[in-house]
Amino acid sequence: MLQPHSVLWHYLWVAPNVLLVVLAFMMWKRRLHREFPAFFCYAIFEAAGGSAIYAIDVSPSVSGPTYWWSYFLFLVVEAFVKFVVIGEVFTHLLRRYQPLGKLAKVLVSGVGVILVFTATIIAAYANPTAFWLISATRILGRSVSVVQCGLIVFLFVFAAHFRLSWGRVVFGITLGFGIVAGVYLAYWALMAEWFLGQRTYLLDFMNMATYHVCVLIWFYYLLLPQESVTTSVVSLPEHDLAIWNRELERLLHQ
Amino acid sequence: MNLAIVLVIAAVFALATILSVAVTRSLQTSKQSACLTGTIRPIDVEAFRNLIDPDEDEYLRRRLPAAQFRTVRRERLRAMAAYVHVAAGNAAVLVRVGDAAVANGDVQVAEAAHQLVNDALLLRRNCILALGRIYLALAWPNSGFAAARVFERYERVSGAAMLLGRLQNPRAAVRLSAL
Repeated sequence: MLQPHSVLWHYLWVAPNVLLVVLAFMMWKRRLHREFPAFFCYAIFEAAGGSAIYAIDVSPSVSGPTYWWSYFLFLVVEAFVKFVVIGEVFTHLLRRYQPLGKLAKVLVSGVGVILVFTATIIAAYANPTAFWLISATRILGRSVSVVQCGLIVFLFVFAAHFRLSWGRVVFGITLGFGIVAGVYLAYWALMAEWFLGQRTYLLDFMNMATYHVCVLIWFYYLLLPQESVTTSVVSLPEHDLAIWNRELERLLHQ
Repeated sequence: MNLAIVLVIAAVFALATILSVAVTRSLQTSKQSACLTGTIRPIDVEAFRNLIDPDEDEYLRRRLPAAQFRTVRRERLRAMAAYVHVAAGNAAVLVRVGDAAVANGDVQVAEAAHQLVNDALLLRRNCILALGRIYLALAWPNSGFAAARVFERYERVSGAAMLLGRLQNPRAAVRLSAL
């Protein structure tokens, strides 16, 4: 079951791509693609790119180096698209909270610089392999994961600290990206060090299964209707308001 | 191999952080009204004003020996930090109260809620900066310190909360004039 090219392996590779096509179609139908264009592009790119890489992998006529070149290019474009999606999520989250805009930009820039610096240092400590392209792919994957995971964790911590309210869709996209980024970081860290030797396919299963779950998370948050409880108005507690009023009254009389 | 272990641990921490925020968010969403009741803590504004008054510090500096002044100043700074923590906590609660009211159909309530959210966010931001300065001042008690911006912002948030409370609950306005 947990072998390369087993039924489960094929399913875990193909199913998320098919689901992403459906997700992109549903987004387009509900006009969500206008609100989240970067994520819409990401879904299409992942579906198309993932399917292409799968076809290259299973095709007997394609050589090993061709596969790795294709995968490497896919990772480069994927990294770029993911950064754009993270930027889109930031914009949506902070759109309602203009007073925090400047602080958020400064902090994101600072955190970004630190993460890129960290990723560069980590890349310098890579283990070379016989074929340089495999090493390059793993170093790229690991470095990009460090930056993306760090940015998403920062986003969650920032929003939690200021008690910012996420929109349902924004939260769903970020949650899926966060889980994928965290698992990818562990995956690429172990892959780059040849942790499991010839059994690295076990990590592939973990990676693909996580991605499948995240695609289902995106389905849940993007396509299921919002619960009505989130829109209910919360009144200020009368008792506490009285205390606040008393304090204000005291200020006014000074 | 050490690097891989460090990165895996970092990934586990990242996932734990993300999932804990997700769980907290869903709990807050389902129990929004119940959680907010009773979470605003009152602040003794007069005592807070006294603590941040530079004239008070100057008076103590002139009256007390240097070593004793440093001790007293540190005590005052710790008390100040406690007040700022409470102010930051209240601001966090008011962000959520305001957020919940922003969707209100009444334009006046929605505008008041928006104002409350903005003021509360700025107060929370100022609290972080103020806490940083307070902890620095704890190391160098003779340095000057100003938490006036936290205090001013607290006054504004108080006003914004009061306005929103009045609009949502007219009985509260009566209570204000009756105090």
